[in-house]
Amino acid sequence: MTAEESKREITHDEFDPVGTLTLIVIYFAILAIMWFFMYFIEFAENGPTVIGVA
Amino acid sequence: MNIHTYEKLWLAASMVLIVGFIATVTYGAVGLGIAMIDDDESTIDPDSLDEDERFSDPRVEEMDDGTYEAYVVAEQYRFNPDPLVVPANSTVTLYVTSPDVIHGFEVVGTNVNTMVIPGEVSKMTIEFEESEEYGLLCNEYCGAGHHGMEGEIHVVPEEEFEEGEQ
Repeated sequence: MTAEESKREITHDEFDPVGTLTLIVIYFAILAIMWFFMYFIEFAENGPTVIGVA
Repeated sequence: MNIHTYEKLWLAASMVLIVGFIATVTYGAVGLGIAMIDDDESTIDPDSLDEDERFSDPRVEEMDDGTYEAYVVAEQYRFNPDPLVVPANSTVTLYVTSPDVIHGFEVVGTNVNTMVIPGEVSKMTIEFEESEEYGLLCNEYCGAGHHGMEGEIHVVPEEEFEEGEQ
């Protein structure tokens, strides 16, 4: 099989980078979970908190 | 422009993420009431704190509405009063100032943390729930004795607080 034979043309929409999509989904999930823990558990639960300056 | 479906997906997801971040911070401010300490308090002459009605005698005082006000002086190298004794289940507004250099005012392990600047009064309202002892420390380098500048906040049961006042 030569390089010429193995070449296959696909259109723009036929190209599906499933691996990239999976990595991005995992990355987004990590971000969302970390944000939740950082804000709601580590920060907001870490009272007392300054609740006013008035 | 021809954008791939997957690309549209993660573009949209990142927008949702950003909106989510902003929404939680807004929720913190509006829902939980978390406030940022600012410089709204009027300035004060740091050289004559002893003539100031609030800071000449650093103390905790009960207000007419049942809340408390605490006047604290952070100076080289101590917090006055130390310990700062406040009742449990109370709302305390702290006024902190410095007669000498910039200090920090950090209630260890909590979100209560501010700078104390000579001439400025840092004002913050805090709710203390259960009886507990908190450490207090200076987190701005303030001189040779900085590392030893620490204090305590004692949150004591209401009865004990009233006894202590008499």
